Amino acid sequence: MLYPRWMWPAFSAPAVLWLLAFFVVPFYSILAVAMGSVDPILQQPQPAWNPADWDPNAFTFVFDNLFYGGGIFQKVFARTIAYVAIAVVLSLVIAYPVAYYIARHAGRWKTLLLVGLVAPFFISYLMRMLAWINLLQEDGWVNEVLVWTGILDEPRNWLDGRASSVVLGLVYGYVPFMILPLYAFLDRVDPRVLEAARDLGASRFNAFRLVTLPLSTPAILAGVVIIALPMFGDYYTPDLLSASPNTTMIGNQINFYLRGGQLVPVGAALVCVLMAMLLILLAYYLFATARAARRLAE
Amino acid sequence: MTRLRRWLANPWGRPRFLPLVTLLYMAWAIVPVLIAIRFSFNEGRSRSTAQGWSFRWYWEDPENSVWTDPDLRTALYQSLKLAGLAMAIAVPLGAALAVGITRWRGRAAKPANALALSTLITPEIVMGTALFLVFVHLFTFIELGTVAQLIGHVTFSIAFVLLIVRGRLLSIGRVYEEAAMDLGAPRLQAVRMVLLPLLWPSILASFIIVFAISMDDFVISAFLSSGGSTDTVPVRLYSNARATATPALNALASLTLGLTIVAAGVIFLAWRAVRRRRGVTASAVDELARLGA
Amino acid sequence: MDRRDFLRRGAGTTLGLSGLGALLAACGSQTGAPAPEAGPPPATTPGGETAATTAAATTAEATSAEGELPFPLARPDSPVTLPIFDDNPPIDSGLEPEAGPLKIYNWIDYIWKRKVKDFGKEFGVEVELSSFYTMDEAIAKLATGQTDYDVFFPTPDRMSRLAYGKLLRPLNLDYIPNLANMWPVFSNPFYDQGARYSVPYTIYTTGIAYRRDKVKTDPFELANGYEILWDPAYKGKAFVLDDSREALAMVLLKNGVTDINTEDPALIEMAKQDLISLIDLVNVKYGIEDYTKIPEGSAWVHQGWSGDMLAGSWYLPEGTKPDVLGYWYPPEGGGVIGNDLIAVLAGGKNPVLAHHFLNFMLDETNAYENMINFNGYQPPLTSLSAESLIADGFIPENLAAAAVRQEDFENAYLLLELSPDGQTLWQNAWAEFKAGV
Repeated sequence: MLYPRWMWPAFSAPAVLWLLAFFVVPFYSILAVAMGSVDPILQQPQPAWNPADWDPNAFTFVFDNLFYGGGIFQKVFARTIAYVAIAVVLSLVIAYPVAYYIARHAGRWKTLLLVGLVAPFFISYLMRMLAWINLLQEDGWVNEVLVWTGILDEPRNWLDGRASSVVLGLVYGYVPFMILPLYAFLDRVDPRVLEAARDLGASRFNAFRLVTLPLSTPAILAGVVIIALPMFGDYYTPDLLSASPNTTMIGNQINFYLRGGQLVPVGAALVCVLMAMLLILLAYYLFATARAARRLAE
Repeated sequence: MTRLRRWLANPWGRPRFLPLVTLLYMAWAIVPVLIAIRFSFNEGRSRSTAQGWSFRWYWEDPENSVWTDPDLRTALYQSLKLAGLAMAIAVPLGAALAVGITRWRGRAAKPANALALSTLITPEIVMGTALFLVFVHLFTFIELGTVAQLIGHVTFSIAFVLLIVRGRLLSIGRVYEEAAMDLGAPRLQAVRMVLLPLLWPSILASFIIVFAISMDDFVISAFLSSGGSTDTVPVRLYSNARATATPALNALASLTLGLTIVAAGVIFLAWRAVRRRRGVTASAVDELARLGA
Repeated sequence: MDRRDFLRRGAGTTLGLSGLGALLAACGSQTGAPAPEAGPPPATTPGGETAATTAAATTAEATSAEGELPFPLARPDSPVTLPIFDDNPPIDSGLEPEAGPLKIYNWIDYIWKRKVKDFGKEFGVEVELSSFYTMDEAIAKLATGQTDYDVFFPTPDRMSRLAYGKLLRPLNLDYIPNLANMWPVFSNPFYDQGARYSVPYTIYTTGIAYRRDKVKTDPFELANGYEILWDPAYKGKAFVLDDSREALAMVLLKNGVTDINTEDPALIEMAKQDLISLIDLVNVKYGIEDYTKIPEGSAWVHQGWSGDMLAGSWYLPEGTKPDVLGYWYPPEGGGVIGNDLIAVLAGGKNPVLAHHFLNFMLDETNAYENMINFNGYQPPLTSLSAESLIADGFIPENLAAAAVRQEDFENAYLLLELSPDGQTLWQNAWAEFKAGV
């Protein structure tokens, strides 16, 4: 050992302590609030820090409305999952060709295109969303273009609370975060592997299907996870693009219960349930990547 | 039909629909933003009809421009302040963590790594709620507002720094330090004189990323804001978009974008200078894009 | 844990039995054994809703018998004098104002910023303006005890909570002689006898804001003006207020129920179902930005507040005439009416300055200018009458229904504080509406 034993733990300690204090402890506080009560005057949550005082009623309420047909949260969870699933698939359909092209065929345009890829990271999500909303307005440019080209007969009210607008908004907001990991991966794929496949007579499509795509499974899964998880917590996209009860996502419902009033514990319990769901998703991701790695190794 | 088939079967042909998809995507991603920037220079009050050009919404309007409306001005200050402070705290913490975790062979290294990365997969609304509740009910000595927001921003930034710096560390290995120590350099000096310069590019990249994600953050800033004077630009964008939406909103967003680009540009140039000195020739943007992922 | 156990424990602690607890306790029992005698209304969903109704029905009796709520519910026929606590006394008379900065916590876009600046100039201090969207959100933030706002704009229904929770500082009316400019009723309102904690800011009604150039039926010609929101012709352009009390109260009134503070689960269930019917019928949306949505034309019918429409002309796009704005309030009276207040916060560092600010806003000129130049909401000045506002042209003909008269208060309905169980009922009904279909 070149360095004393304490040295590397000492390097890690500040950040680890920081995360314990401001990430782990706060997580526990959600649970304590969900298991706690509210004071009767100002209706502020009284967290139950001691598990002996836990009162699972908020969870009972959430589960009742989640697992019985027609409950408040069942619809919203189902809708959220559907929106996220569609948005993720659409994102992948857009992100993969773009990442693939830039990584492998862009040639001298590569730097410029990369700037275009990175740019959304430097533009606030809300600014991009607002820009998009402006175009979607009834007298906005989207309608003008669609009417002018004859695709639509008359301007359509895109912001009247339709699911398609919310899903497209999600795709618009999150797709850059999927392209980048895909690009980083595809750029690393050794071109010689593909050349070998083609030398062996595989058509371009087959080379892609049999070589590139399987190789990029881990990157695709990573991209899916990177955008799906934040989408589950999104509440501002449906708020801005729709504000209709028909597009309420779980984030909106959490926000509603958390923003004061006496039902804050219900909001906290919803957060716990959402997190549990995401952890299951994540466990599947880890399992799937491990499986993909095993397959590649074979 | 046969031509199509032949084209598809040709292993060396160039795919044609790919450039089209890429171009459409770029237009879709960038054009709305350009249009939004254009409306920040609108003479009139509309955010969707072009009405001349002016700096009315930047500073000329006596009540409602970014400069003259105290709400908008303080939002810009608040965003810059948070981003600057978040860089100053998160990058050292995250870089040290990266070095520590990569070199540390102990049993605790893996959990520490998992802990740091789990912030990445936590939806913002969850982290925002958690921090809000903990500041209000447990760490009551930390008041909502700038300090609370800063803590939130640092917390979600650490993982990004960790990823970027660790990527670099793994690619350089530990031969240089070992060589330095073989030549008699004391341990800490080996870290300072050898490791740190090697890590500079990733540290600069971390600065850019932390600045950008801090400027972009909405949910955590909103949950931890103490109201008015600690609202950041995204919080203002969100609340004003639903209420008094004038082109001043576009001006505010454009200014934020401009400042982010300037900050990123300065850091980027510094980085390129460092790379030049060492004779790296690969595209810097390319490397940045890969670091970001 | 069974329900009885929960009740006992709830009573044993100082926390008492919150509405949430009551509701949830019953949920627990309901899952254990699906009670066949469930709710009084048709049990439409087996989930929380039936549970909610049974819960409220059973526990409401228990709790009201014990008088468990730690503060009185103010009603016009049972006025409340809010206590002044020894550890939260009013300030002495004749003190010098502090150096500021004065921190004001107000609803979004609810004061003319010029007036705030004027106050700062007059007293030589900085003034910071912060805003909130809902009263719940505002109280949650104030209750953290981590803010130091000086001035707050509460609603009457929350006055008991705020005073008993010691968030507000009792007023020393010596600093506020301008209270005499306001309608006398506000020197001794039922929710705060003797104006110990609050002075009036504005008065308003809740009705329907609409675009006169877009709607085909004049709501004044309908037998029931509220029906215009249920007209499928305005699909995608219809909004209700994003406020559980306002939206559900409107549905109650539409259906002829005038007790808009009801805690009867059957009535709330009915209102909820009728509200939910709006989703399929007109794809209803929710928001509180009627003052921009109607002028912009992104909404054609929007449940709205009278003051918002008077402020609406400021938000008209260039080239749109102000006479396109319309506001309907039941012409014979009997709608929702309300007033907003200004109060001084106990956590502020500038109590004297805050008192001066209250007095400043009650000044005849300031209150009037605040209304006509930006806010649109009418201050209850005795010198101001609906007729004079219309005659002066500030309230145009097309918005005449937005003027508020003192006699309107006699046959209109106020939204008042509910018991915890009642609140839970209303809040969950609203959450269910918001969950969509």
